[in-house]
Amino acid sequence: MNEKYSKIVLEEYENRFLYKKSKTNLNIEFNRIAFIFFVFSMISIIFSIQLLHLGSLKIENKVRVLIGKNNYRSDIVDRNGNYLAKSVSSIDVGINPVEVIDKKRLLVNLQLIFPNKNYSELKKKLNKKKFFYLEKKISIENYEKIMLLGDKSIKSEEKLTRIYPQKNLFSHIIGQIDDDNKGISGIEKSFNKELKTSAEPLSLTVDTDIQFLIRKELVKFQSIFRSKGSAAILMNVDNGEIISMVSYPDFDLNKRETLEDLDLLNRASKGVYELGSVFKIFTVAAGLEEGLIEVDTEFLNLEKKLKCGKSTIGEYNKKIPSNLTVEQILIRSGNIGSVRIGQKLGIDKLKSFLNKIGVLTIIDFDIEEVGEPIPFRWGKCKLATVSFGHGITATPLQLAKGYAIIANGGFDIRPSLIKKNLNLTQKKKRIIKEGISKKINTILRKIVTTKEGTAGLANIEGYEIGGKTGTAPKAIAGGYSNANVNTFVAVFPISKPKYVMVVLLDEPKTSGDYIYKYKNKKGSYKGTPYNTAGWTSVEVAGKIMEKIGPILATKYIEN
Amino acid sequence: MKKVALLIIFVLILVTSLVKNSTKEIEDKIFVLNESIRSLKVEFGDKMLEYNFLSSPDKLIQYQSQYFEKDLIRIDIMKIKELSERNDIIELNDFIKKIKDE
Repeated sequence: MNEKYSKIVLEEYENRFLYKKSKTNLNIEFNRIAFIFFVFSMISIIFSIQLLHLGSLKIENKVRVLIGKNNYRSDIVDRNGNYLAKSVSSIDVGINPVEVIDKKRLLVNLQLIFPNKNYSELKKKLNKKKFFYLEKKISIENYEKIMLLGDKSIKSEEKLTRIYPQKNLFSHIIGQIDDDNKGISGIEKSFNKELKTSAEPLSLTVDTDIQFLIRKELVKFQSIFRSKGSAAILMNVDNGEIISMVSYPDFDLNKRETLEDLDLLNRASKGVYELGSVFKIFTVAAGLEEGLIEVDTEFLNLEKKLKCGKSTIGEYNKKIPSNLTVEQILIRSGNIGSVRIGQKLGIDKLKSFLNKIGVLTIIDFDIEEVGEPIPFRWGKCKLATVSFGHGITATPLQLAKGYAIIANGGFDIRPSLIKKNLNLTQKKKRIIKEGISKKINTILRKIVTTKEGTAGLANIEGYEIGGKTGTAPKAIAGGYSNANVNTFVAVFPISKPKYVMVVLLDEPKTSGDYIYKYKNKKGSYKGTPYNTAGWTSVEVAGKIMEKIGPILATKYIEN
Repeated sequence: MKKVALLIIFVLILVTSLVKNSTKEIEDKIFVLNESIRSLKVEFGDKMLEYNFLSSPDKLIQYQSQYFEKDLIRIDIMKIKELSERNDIIELNDFIKKIKDE
């Protein structure tokens, strides 16, 4: 019985074991192959990807080696790729007298390499124990010679030299850097981080040739009208790109001087001025926007003088008629008519319009040197003076922006000096009603072409220039001085405005010898009859247009 | 199945080593080219800087007054003409019309 039982158990066990073993074996074998296959596939894929990735990355890494260093700074170019600022490595060589072994031998050798050096002075320096620079920005030839001397007291130091091939031309735009490769003004300051980390040069919107021609005219007329300074801005009305921005006097960036002279202020973007009658366009545009006036709306029985508080508002030209349409108010630059339009608008509406076009607040710009309009309290008298551009301050850049918005169909823009900042694809945001631009542009053209207009000297044939003049006494503490700020804003070609140009002369004087050539009629006139924008800034703008017009018309016709 | 898996692994290893080998060769070539481009770029930058300085408007005006007797003349935009070819006929049009038509 016992024997039989044990036999059964053995059989059962054997059968179960065989069945299980065969099943498990199959599974393990298949899983192992799949697993190895999977691991190898993954390794191969990762390895291949890494190989391809490394192949593409290595080049960038090599460039980055340079970029991270403190003596790296990328170049700045104009819209045509011409260098405005370029970094060049230079070597300074100095001597540590403590480490000199044979002073006499070293002096003889140095005399052979640098025959023009003062050796009695050098001997004195060698006798002291203080490190001194022997030669800064040494030539490669002399560097090789001096290093071949093998004297361990000779120390070399690689330094970054920033070269500005256009010297003064873009001084206010580009700005300066300090000895630690840190931007301290202009683009060099506001784009300091980008310039230190980007492998590509920073491309600006400015054009060197146009900048040169505009600056040349400003320099010429600075001596004719003996002004304290001047500024000009040329801007594309559609996208806000600044083709030229000049402020004179300027400085040579290569000299790397500490600027203390207040006259070297960037008048184009930082100078804050009462700009006078150029503001009348804004008052009229606000009136048209609100539907309170039309171009042919008549203002009758306009007074010759208005009393407002302690001050009196009068016309600059006593021949201005008492009955004027809105169009005539602008053409003749009537102060009282503008006050009436302002009063019709009221404080809130005028303030809101000026705010909309960016005249009341600090402008968003690519350099930090921007002026802040002087804040003031609105009241009845302030409304009256602001209507014709007095008692309100702005920078020429803000003025250019305001005119660009009015001229381009009413679309908001942001003035820019950097090419990549231009929003060329972004949909334009309309901030002024359709149709207002056309009405204002027609009047701007008449200011230049009609006999009564104040800007006849800017009527250069072929460019369809429109514009508005502004003559304002310069504000000083507690009142106004006898000096003027004369401004002219030109928009052209008026049939489809593309550019706005602001020319500002800071404290110009009349010239007895300058000969004016009339544009609307034959003949010429010697001497400046009045110290107004019409006889100063307009003449400068006209001369600038004659010079830059052919370039703008031919070079940028396809843009 | 076993053979197929092993074969695929072997092929993958082979392909990977081939890719790596060829990539290394390309990498070496890229390195050599980059090094030669780098020095050329520096040289080009220096020449470009020299060119920009020598051909800057300021310098050109200086050369003009230094080497030429005649003064530069201003181009009158009204005198600029535009040549265009239409049906094998060359037409001469006023350039300024183009601005007005824009």
